Amino acid sequence: MLSIVKLLQSLVKALHSEGTPGQLAAGIALGSILGLTPLVSLHNAMVFGLIVILNVSFPGAVLGWALFIPIGFLLDPVFDSIGHTLLFTPALTPFWTSLYNAPVFPLTNFNNTVTLGSLVFSVVFFLPLFFAARGAVTRYRATIGERVRQSKWYRALTASKLYNVYRLFRPET
Amino acid sequence: MFRWRAIGPLLLFTLLGAGLWLLLADRIARRSAEKIGTAIVGAKVEIEDLHISLANGDVTIRGLTVASPHEALKNLLQADELVADLDVLPLLEKKVVIDRLAANGVRFGTPRATDGRVPMDPSASVSGRVMSEARDWAQRFQVPALQLATGKIDVATLDPRRLSAIPAARALNARADSSRRAWQTGLDSLRSSVALDSAAATLARLRTARATDLAALNDARRAIDQLKQARNRVTTFERNVTGGLADLRAGVAGLDSAKQRDYAFARGLLKLPTLDAPEIGLALFAPSAVAQFQRALYWTQLARAHMPPGLLPRADAGPPRRRRSGSTVRFPREHALPGVLLRTAELSFQLDPTAPQPKRYTGRLTGLTSDPAVYGRPTLFEASAPAVSAGAMLDHVHATARDTAGATVQGVRLPVLQLPSLPMKLDPGQGIAQLGFALRGDTIRARWSIRSTHVQWSRDSAGSTGQGSTGADLLWRTLSGISDLQVDAGVTGTLTSPRLSVRSNLDEAIAARLRTMLGAEATAAERRLRAEVDRQVDPAIAPVRARVTGLQTDVTKSLAEQRGRLDQAQKDLEARLRELTRIRLP
Repeated sequence: MLSIVKLLQSLVKALHSEGTPGQLAAGIALGSILGLTPLVSLHNAMVFGLIVILNVSFPGAVLGWALFIPIGFLLDPVFDSIGHTLLFTPALTPFWTSLYNAPVFPLTNFNNTVTLGSLVFSVVFFLPLFFAARGAVTRYRATIGERVRQSKWYRALTASKLYNVYRLFRPET
Repeated sequence: MFRWRAIGPLLLFTLLGAGLWLLLADRIARRSAEKIGTAIVGAKVEIEDLHISLANGDVTIRGLTVASPHEALKNLLQADELVADLDVLPLLEKKVVIDRLAANGVRFGTPRATDGRVPMDPSASVSGRVMSEARDWAQRFQVPALQLATGKIDVATLDPRRLSAIPAARALNARADSSRRAWQTGLDSLRSSVALDSAAATLARLRTARATDLAALNDARRAIDQLKQARNRVTTFERNVTGGLADLRAGVAGLDSAKQRDYAFARGLLKLPTLDAPEIGLALFAPSAVAQFQRALYWTQLARAHMPPGLLPRADAGPPRRRRSGSTVRFPREHALPGVLLRTAELSFQLDPTAPQPKRYTGRLTGLTSDPAVYGRPTLFEASAPAVSAGAMLDHVHATARDTAGATVQGVRLPVLQLPSLPMKLDPGQGIAQLGFALRGDTIRARWSIRSTHVQWSRDSAGSTGQGSTGADLLWRTLSGISDLQVDAGVTGTLTSPRLSVRSNLDEAIAARLRTMLGAEATAAERRLRAEVDRQVDPAIAPVRARVTGLQTDVTKSLAEQRGRLDQAQKDLEARLRELTRIRLP
């Protein structure tokens, strides 16, 4: 229940943040990588760094992460299959062998079927998700966004202390 | 594009992470080492303390305990301290390279308070699979049971349904019936009577014919031809009948073989004690010997699973996590660093830590690696001391793995041996134990032997078979006077069809005693059982035997009659023809 509430909170915060639809969509797309791939991975540290440093929506990233965690669990068999196919493609073996014996790359766990499959999937999925999310946010703000902003519960939410912490990471318009 | 004011918090977050890692690295590494070690060995691996010093490039482990995967309350080894010189740079490639490992205070076979074995699922873990395979392998050996008769040998009830001669007799009877019918049909289809009737009519005409009656002469020649054809048919049919009769006679002989098998089956029901010396050696010491070989095979196969030969990519189960584990694929490359490599290990160990003054030994291990083909050299172990010599080589560099190990230990206390089915224990005391084990591909050659000159016998109070019986008393008197023990066991062949042999100096003594004790009674019991087999089988066999003999006589007689009549008719015709043609000649 708590996670559903948090998800709703993230959704509302993200949709009404000061960021542009593009910043929000970029945040969701980057957050989806965190959700789709196994969390404790080196590439996710880099994705997290990008979310913090780049001027993208932080709540959007949290929303993307929260939304795509269950999808990641559901798609694990697909990721496993993609990773298996890639890692056992004979033409790619020299490439994987080079990576496996190079510094740092093995720390990314690229040689795990689920990690590689989910990363490849999320990278391929990145741009379609970005454009879809940007379109959806634009449409939302143009239609019912303002009415939601005027509601009591939204104002209660934005008045909390947590909101102040969030403002630290809000996108600069 | 960049959120510059987030750099500070990000750096702070990174520093916080680094600080946490420094605080928790030892604990995380200890838990990981315990987890990985447990998964590899198939029994609990416990570490009291682990400290990583990346600045000095060393790892120190204190209080290492590795439980035995084979015995519940025993440790495989314990070590006071292990200090590893770690190569730091390969860690960036996620590779663990230890230049030198010093292990101090290593003790083998120490007792433990709790069961250190972990449940092993053959489908989920490598150690579970290997343990299951080793168990299956050990069960391939048919170890005869040595049984002491505690009273009269019982002649068990003989179930006629389990005797092979009776159904064989029924089957032969049916075959004889069908052969009789087929041959009767065959005899009828020969149509000899037609030829004979025609010949008789022709002969009657010839008796009144003159030499100039050419038509009668030609008829006579035709009749002779018909007789010849009829005889050929009889000959062909006789050949078939002869083959069929030979089959039936073989069937009768088969009934005798079946009866012999029934005797053997009935003998098995007697549950007679084994009286042959080699069988007694197997019965007494095979379980102990097989247990030694099974352990050696387990460790060897485990080494093969974790140190596989070859340079092809290979997949292992991924790390356990909430998400699907997937498979982790390794891509070894020649001349690169292996995933795990221990270049040299110096071991200081004790073999009999419970002795009043335990002796210290030293050993050296080199080239232990997860990728033998990458490393290019076999793993070697050697340990030598005045009373100990041990060596092992795991050569997985080439496609066919070759593993050899050998150890001779003198002057250590040998474990007490439980003798299956005998109500006594054998304590070899201090002695010499030898184990040799070689596995090349799947060809195995192993040897285990123990020697002792101070054997002590004790009667088992656990109430084994034969406890308190006359036989057990006699055996006790025989064996308790023996102070020397020599046991030699060996396994040869392949893993799928191994051959086990066990000899000991006790075999002949026990065999002779058992023969004396049970010989006369066993012979009488066997005689009774043979009589019972005869009583049940003979009524089924005798009529069939008579039926086959009768069939043979009838068919042979019938064929002989037909042949005789045809011959006689031909002879009469030819004689009359000769008479007629003689008149015409000058």
